[in-house]
Amino acid sequence: MLTKKEIEKAVRDCLVKAGTTFRADQHKAYRKAIERETNLNARWVLERIVENARIAKKIKAPLCDDSGIPHAIVEIGKDANLPRGWLSAIEDGVVQGLRTMPGRPMAVKGNEVERVEQSGGLFQDPGKLVLAPVTVKSVSGTRIKITVLLLGGGPEIRAKTYRVFHERSMDRVVEEAARWITTEVKNLGCTPVVPAIGIGRTHMEASALMLEAMKEGNLNRQSPLETRVTQWINATRVGPLGLGGDTTALGTFIKVGHLRASGVRIVSARPCCCFEPRKATVILDGTD
Amino acid sequence: MKKSQKSTGIITVSTPIDDEVIHTLKIGDQIELQGKVYCGRDAVLPRLADFFLENRLDEINVNLKGSVIFHSAVSPAGIGPTTSSKVEIEGSIPTLSRAGVKIHLGKGALSMDTAKALAENNALFAITPPVSALFTDKIEEQRVAAFKEEGMEALYELKVKGLPAIIAIAHGKSIFTEQA
Repeated sequence: MLTKKEIEKAVRDCLVKAGTTFRADQHKAYRKAIERETNLNARWVLERIVENARIAKKIKAPLCDDSGIPHAIVEIGKDANLPRGWLSAIEDGVVQGLRTMPGRPMAVKGNEVERVEQSGGLFQDPGKLVLAPVTVKSVSGTRIKITVLLLGGGPEIRAKTYRVFHERSMDRVVEEAARWITTEVKNLGCTPVVPAIGIGRTHMEASALMLEAMKEGNLNRQSPLETRVTQWINATRVGPLGLGGDTTALGTFIKVGHLRASGVRIVSARPCCCFEPRKATVILDGTD
Repeated sequence: MKKSQKSTGIITVSTPIDDEVIHTLKIGDQIELQGKVYCGRDAVLPRLADFFLENRLDEINVNLKGSVIFHSAVSPAGIGPTTSSKVEIEGSIPTLSRAGVKIHLGKGALSMDTAKALAENNALFAITPPVSALFTDKIEEQRVAAFKEEGMEALYELKVKGLPAIIAIAHGKSIFTEQA
């Protein structure tokens, strides 16, 4: 039977991997981008990002000093057995992961006003950075799949969740989201981006779907619509770090959820930065 | 010697930086910074600007003449540029340039008003990717210089060797409006 300790350790290791490691699809996307980039300064930036990933892996250091706000998506098999206190085990695993990596100690102290105004100081302990509300989903089988994602601050400044009148056109909805992204990438700084787009019924649901798009997305597997969004964004020629060139976006991740009878879709679009999505997944055995 | 050029075309810029070095740098130049670099961001840069305006920089033993300010926190997770167009950061650039800062290092585009203020004070804006693991390799020493109570957002003084950057705004020109 799966224990709380096993969950804690798995989540800890998962968080550290998410924050310090490039995935194979990221390495491949950067290799291709460097090969085709025609702007020399842009290519210099792309090469530094790859060099950074190599050093981060070697010394087990965060890819970015904004080590991000931890999020988790938990998929629980219908026939899985979980120990009592499994959710607190995930929270404890996040705390341990933040201390191990280490994460940036950016949790703000104080009451509501002090936290908003950042007038009560900061916690020195990276582990004080509380896990965001957890998304829990039911799936078939006996396994428990936990994905940890680390969301940086720059993309949060530039993300947007809003309504789109779809006019019975998928293109209309996605083009609007792509327009939001294209107006923001110039000021983001940490391009190239990977736009993550969630389309749902409510603002909360659209944001959750955007997070799922980050979880499921793979730069090696792009739908025709995702490829088109990437091409639109690359047509801005903002380029890496805003220096111009061919590589403003490496790819796009779109996730469509359940929808309602209405002329409106709620869309959440986030321009994930040059290291994102920072994610890692662990699968645990939930049999007796 | 405050500036030298490697065979790779990368220009080494050492602190303190004099006006002559700034005159010779242009947008698109790739540089590597050597020497002392201050790190500060949203929380401390407006305070630092106020200390200059009140003639109180001596009280905190901070000398901004010929200096570099990197828009970064300093924490166990490393260093890395934050968005320089944030109100507290971009808003402090004109005053800190008057105080003697020669290179403001961060990321993202700045307004042409800020570009004008930089030019008036013979100062530059440089950008660098958020490559924190790589930066860790370039830091030789670090200490809190002022405003310790701000934690990771305190004003830090680092000694760096080869911190990479690209000149983005110089002499009234911005790479963000002239890029191809």
